[in-house]
Amino acid sequence: MTVRPFGDRAFLIELEQRIDPAIVDLARAIADGWEARGLGEAIPAYASVVVEFDPARTPWSAAEAAATELAARPPDATAKAPGRLIEVPTVYDGPDLADTAERSGLTTDELVALHSEREYQAFFLGFMPGLAYCGTLDPRIDAPRLLSPRARVPGGSVAVVTGQTIVYPADSPGGWRLIGRTELKVFDPTREPAAIIRAGDRLRFAPR
Amino acid sequence: MRILVPGVRATIQDRGRKGHAREGIPPSGPADPVALAAALDLAGCGPDDAAIEVVGLPFAFRCDDRRVIAATGRDVGVRTRGRVPGWTSVLARAGEEVIVEGSAATRFAYIAVSGGLALTAVLGSRSTYLATALGPIARPLIVGDELPLGPSTSGVEAAGRRIEAPPYAGPARAVAGPHDTRFDDAIVALVFATEFTVLPESDRMGVRLSGADLRAEGDDLLSCGIVAGAVQVPRGGAPIVLLADHQTTGGYPIIATVIHADLGIVAQKAPGEGLRFDRVTPVVSARSR
Repeated sequence: MTVRPFGDRAFLIELEQRIDPAIVDLARAIADGWEARGLGEAIPAYASVVVEFDPARTPWSAAEAAATELAARPPDATAKAPGRLIEVPTVYDGPDLADTAERSGLTTDELVALHSEREYQAFFLGFMPGLAYCGTLDPRIDAPRLLSPRARVPGGSVAVVTGQTIVYPADSPGGWRLIGRTELKVFDPTREPAAIIRAGDRLRFAPR
Repeated sequence: MRILVPGVRATIQDRGRKGHAREGIPPSGPADPVALAAALDLAGCGPDDAAIEVVGLPFAFRCDDRRVIAATGRDVGVRTRGRVPGWTSVLARAGEEVIVEGSAATRFAYIAVSGGLALTAVLGSRSTYLATALGPIARPLIVGDELPLGPSTSGVEAAGRRIEAPPYAGPARAVAGPHDTRFDDAIVALVFATEFTVLPESDRMGVRLSGADLRAEGDDLLSCGIVAGAVQVPRGGAPIVLLADHQTTGGYPIIATVIHADLGIVAQKAPGEGLRFDRVTPVVSARSR
């Protein structure tokens, strides 16, 4: 694990750089550990955590010591209770469904079955409000990013890329393959929390 | 507070939406934090109060009662009975028209009014985030908007106070990394030795630069969390300095990070203007403010 300065009020803690649910859990446990110290916000991702601090309250050297200590003795990530199970009602009629099935050597029904019959873990949220990166997608689904991203993906689109699946919370540009859509509103700023999926939650897509 | 001339794009900004990055919600807040803090201070507001950020001056308003107001940003001035330079507190009489003016060098202006904007926070902040319509006023201000103000305790004695503006024409201080090891040493050295040019596509999300080609080595990065000031280098090699509306995570390597105190120096560069980065160590810069 490495700790690097990220500007003058944050550090980047890097874990082993690969997509692995155990590493994601560890990143989240480190983020929770940082926030429990009350020094500032933490942003976990696949295999890293950005930990922020306020130099007016915490000297740089004290923040660096806290980050280094946390990286050296990370909290136990396996002790965590499993997240909530969220069902995502999904109509599988996305514009990339047929192409993705074909390049994977599957029928569309087989692809839908592979996508909907397993439980996913929400790794972390990023890219836009409420967007949860979830995995792990069945490796038989071959879904590289689109060569030219769409300028507008409709909110509620269910999409895949190799190893992962997401729900687009709102209209946005995007390069993931669209295989379906859901009525579930995954982000609503009038709610608190506004994002329905939290990192660590489990997801299941239910065909409609 | 009644808006008479809204500028090209005026939004409400406070210090930002802290504590929601893990929901994927950008921090928002001011593109130029030093200028927002100064405007609030000069107007007698608290550091967590909200002000108006304007792109494309002039901006004009009037208040129903007497208020202390302040405008900051790069090369801004205030016209009421006479013309007063920016970064100065001004007493505006009840009903008096206040015009905030800029020059070709002005990008972001901040206007604070004593008593503060009495708006209810959404997800912990009154900042407007236009991309997903967040905030109590989730759109740019328009002519005729009436913003409620809190009670003002400032009087005549508060007027005429000044704060010095930052050296906007100068370089921005930056720390190397966090992904500097993914770049050739000569490329990292080049970031701090060359002058970039600010491109017109720059906005509250980031300032796009042209100049040296900074391509990284090796494989793609796994997305990681991001802070404002990150100088990220997309595949094409032309860097982007991320500002207040940056996404919470990103997958491009970050060669350097502008220190918090100098974010405004980057944000306020005009399209076509040069930008240099001065290399500092994080310890020194953390003590600099």
